[in-house]
Amino acid sequence: MSIKLEKVNKIYITGEVQTVALKNVDLEINNGEVIILLGPSGSGKSTMLNVCSGLDTPTSGKILIDTEDISAMNSKELTKFRRDNLGFIFQQYNLLQTLSVRENIEVGREVGVDPFTVEEIVEQVGLTPNIDKYPFQLSGGEQQRVSIARAVVKNPKILFCDEPTGALDEMNAKEILGIIQKLNEKFMTTVVLITHNPSIAIMGDRTIKLNSGEVVDIIVNENKQRASEIKWG
Amino acid sequence: MKINKELLKLSGDSMLFKNVLRTLKKQWVQLILLGVIIALSSFGYTSMDYSIGGILEPSEAYFDSSNQEDFSIDMLNFILEDDANYMVTSCGIDPMNLPPTLSLLKTIDSTCYDQIQTNRLQAITDKYDNIQLELRDYKDIYFNFGEDSYKLRVLKENHLIDMSHYVEGVAPITNDEIAISKTFAKSNNLDIGDAFDINGKDYTISGFVLVPDYSLAIFSSDLILDNKTQSPALMTDDEFENLSETNQFVIAGAFINGYNKDEFKTEVIDTYRNDTDLNFVTNVVLTENNIRSGGIYADLAGGKAESIGVSLIISLIALMIVGIMVSKVLNSQRGPIGLLKSLGYKNSEIALPYIFFISIMALPAIFVGYYLGYLFAVPMKDMILEFYLLPTIDVVQTWKTIIISVVIPFTFIIGLGYFLIVNMLNKKPVELLNPQVTSSSNWLTRVVSKYLKQLKITTKLKHLLLYRSSIKFYAYIIGMFFAAFLVLFSFSMSGIYDRMMVNYYERTEVQYIGYCDYVGVCEVGTGNEEVIDLPSVLLGSEEIEIVGLDPSTELHKLFDSKNRDITDDLSIENGIIITRSMSLTRGYKVGDELNLEIGSESRNVKIEGITEEYGGNKAYMARSSLSLLVNDTETFYNVVYSKTSLDTSKYMVVINTDDILKQADQMQRFFNLFVILMIGTSVVIGASVIYILTVMTIEDNFYNISLFKVIGYNNKEIDGMILGGYLGYGILIFILCIPIALLSFHLITIFFARYFNMMFPLKLELWQMGISLIIYVLIFYIGAFVAKKNLEKISLQEAMKLYQI
Repeated sequence: MSIKLEKVNKIYITGEVQTVALKNVDLEINNGEVIILLGPSGSGKSTMLNVCSGLDTPTSGKILIDTEDISAMNSKELTKFRRDNLGFIFQQYNLLQTLSVRENIEVGREVGVDPFTVEEIVEQVGLTPNIDKYPFQLSGGEQQRVSIARAVVKNPKILFCDEPTGALDEMNAKEILGIIQKLNEKFMTTVVLITHNPSIAIMGDRTIKLNSGEVVDIIVNENKQRASEIKWG
Repeated sequence: MKINKELLKLSGDSMLFKNVLRTLKKQWVQLILLGVIIALSSFGYTSMDYSIGGILEPSEAYFDSSNQEDFSIDMLNFILEDDANYMVTSCGIDPMNLPPTLSLLKTIDSTCYDQIQTNRLQAITDKYDNIQLELRDYKDIYFNFGEDSYKLRVLKENHLIDMSHYVEGVAPITNDEIAISKTFAKSNNLDIGDAFDINGKDYTISGFVLVPDYSLAIFSSDLILDNKTQSPALMTDDEFENLSETNQFVIAGAFINGYNKDEFKTEVIDTYRNDTDLNFVTNVVLTENNIRSGGIYADLAGGKAESIGVSLIISLIALMIVGIMVSKVLNSQRGPIGLLKSLGYKNSEIALPYIFFISIMALPAIFVGYYLGYLFAVPMKDMILEFYLLPTIDVVQTWKTIIISVVIPFTFIIGLGYFLIVNMLNKKPVELLNPQVTSSSNWLTRVVSKYLKQLKITTKLKHLLLYRSSIKFYAYIIGMFFAAFLVLFSFSMSGIYDRMMVNYYERTEVQYIGYCDYVGVCEVGTGNEEVIDLPSVLLGSEEIEIVGLDPSTELHKLFDSKNRDITDDLSIENGIIITRSMSLTRGYKVGDELNLEIGSESRNVKIEGITEEYGGNKAYMARSSLSLLVNDTETFYNVVYSKTSLDTSKYMVVINTDDILKQADQMQRFFNLFVILMIGTSVVIGASVIYILTVMTIEDNFYNISLFKVIGYNNKEIDGMILGGYLGYGILIFILCIPIALLSFHLITIFFARYFNMMFPLKLELWQMGISLIIYVLIFYIGAFVAKKNLEKISLQEAMKLYQI
């Protein structure tokens, strides 16, 4: 699935203050690409991820995912669209503590049209021995794997990752990125990944640099590498 | 630098207060409802304590100075062998013309009557030490006042026990003077010095009197407390003797030499029935169990205890919810509190705004409740005095009540809040700054998860989300149970007075009751029915009233609790039908066999049915069978039932049941008002509890709801998982509450009947259960709707940043 942004603006109004989070963004993300969104705090990367994924609506402009204009959808339609096509991974794992690994993944699987089995995905993320454990019994890296499994079990076309390694050490972070990379290669899932760590850029097809709500640079990665080869810094 | 630091500190402190204020402002609805619950608990205790205190205190002094009886003894009016022998040998009465009753004897030979009574009293004091006795004679006068029938119980003045007490005016001095209760006088716009006609003679009111053996003007087994149409009264002794009405009597008794009621119970109450020398004694009742004189203590003390109990329960619920809310608010403040700690703020500085605002919320609510309770105490006291004939003093605030009603709950709430805050402040800053991670799953989750393994995840979540926090789950269950119980309880009180009083008269066709003279036969017109009514017989050694009816009666059919006509059961040989009130007070049931004694005759009888009547300890028997016990014929009767009016000149007394119902009106209005108040209060409390719990549980799930929306669950699916679980358990609790409530109501009814001789027939109809459930569910959905509206205001991505609590 491809994503196209056409003159997208996002302005937050709080009282009398207007904050321009995105300014006239034109962007295309191709099907199966791994896109790294890079930028300092306040650059608009989270906002871009939110509007691209339908978690938020742009103030103006269009967002097309394949041929569907998600910027014109209402809340109900957006929910359905997310259900059928999108997956999310957050920095803080966002697992349900009262559910086991299997059950957390089932939560994601339940809404899938043509989902994978829990066992398949658990194997992909390397958590088979832990399938019946609870989140509090897992390390941070393992919890993030569960989060990934939950996101991809329904076989989404696009995977949005908001700082998925932000809470992890280098070793675990590389493992997580490795899993995301593997899933992208295996299932041709488009990946949009937010990070503030420029070293992650080597695993992406392109890096989109944002600053003050604008796309300041788009770098095509001619020498795409494995996540395990990232020089963490 | 120092000044700047201090300024910074001040500015920092005020920021802390601002932060807490803004946080709490978002939950204003819950805080208001919490305030309502806290206020209600304070109100309940205060109003009851002050209103009853304004009565009980002067009453205790009055009972003391008037030497209120410690017990009373009922005796047979019928002449027994010893009495008959005395009449013949000492009074010289012709043995062929012996009067059958002491009442009749008094009209023939009052000296002989006095002596026989003295003999009887002597017989009792010979057996039992440490008691003092005095005979209380009285006569009931029926007369018309305006268009209504009135009744006065004229008591002969006592000089040792149950002495009269004048709240205003003086005792009657001349034979045309009368003293009555102030309530009776005021209800009829009478004052001291006014005269009113009693059966053709004018009596002038000399004073307003209280008599300690009649704290409640209950003169019959009917629960009629209409102080407008009946009153105890005193006349001069001469005038009392001149009255032509039948002389009746009871013995008033007091303990002396430090004797107490427990000793009396063991030595007298438990033994007198077996003493053949005391075969004229039919009943011995301690004052505390006697509703006309001492049930007052049980009533008021019980009412006070009940209101304290209810207040305590409400307070506990309020405190539980306060605890949960404070805990919730504080948990949402983990990050800011952690930040402040890391910045170097002291624990006391961080805690102060929270304690301050909890006080701001709790104290006004408690004060409002207290003050309203204090104000309401006066009309409540006046309302109580509509029925109780007792002295009163002005309502005065006491430190004891203020401490219990204000200081203690306030201290508790602040203490609880302080405890929760300190608990959090003892954590390390970094722990507070990081997201709260569940370090284990509770046993409930593990157990339920095991059993739900095979179900769809959406179904599992319905249950598992509830069990996330055991404490909150239990709080939810207890709160919902209590709310359901309150709503059901208040509905069960609806119609209580009708069941106790009105239904009986409306179910029978009897309009007029004519009481025949002791001698001679009274007229029985067409359509009238002959009845036997003996007010004092022994059944199983308890004194009861027995009524002999023909099984074919059309005017007075008997109906059981399911409204089935059981009159035919009277034709079963040696069968009797008892009233529900008798069954409750004595614990009798269908199939029990008892011994019926009338004078020297006795017979074993069997309870064949229970009629749904609450008018005292009464039994019904086939008239022919009862007649045989009275005079060896099958045709005896002493009362006539009629649908049409009776000629009053042909009967000793004629009672119109409409008059009884009219008298019951005021009592019914009081009961209905009380029930409406109870229902209203219960619904408000129940609704508040349900609303607060619902809103809190939805807010607790903001994170989960947002996560599900992000994943792609639609509103219907999310509602099913979140609300379905809570509502499902809520309805389950409600359904479980029903049998528990029904059993509780049954036990409450038995308890009041057995220990206080009070009928309190709580009953819950199916339709009331339905309405209760509808109210219950409606409030749940209103709470859920409001909570979900709040959720919609938070953007998805913001909601996802809220750490799961």
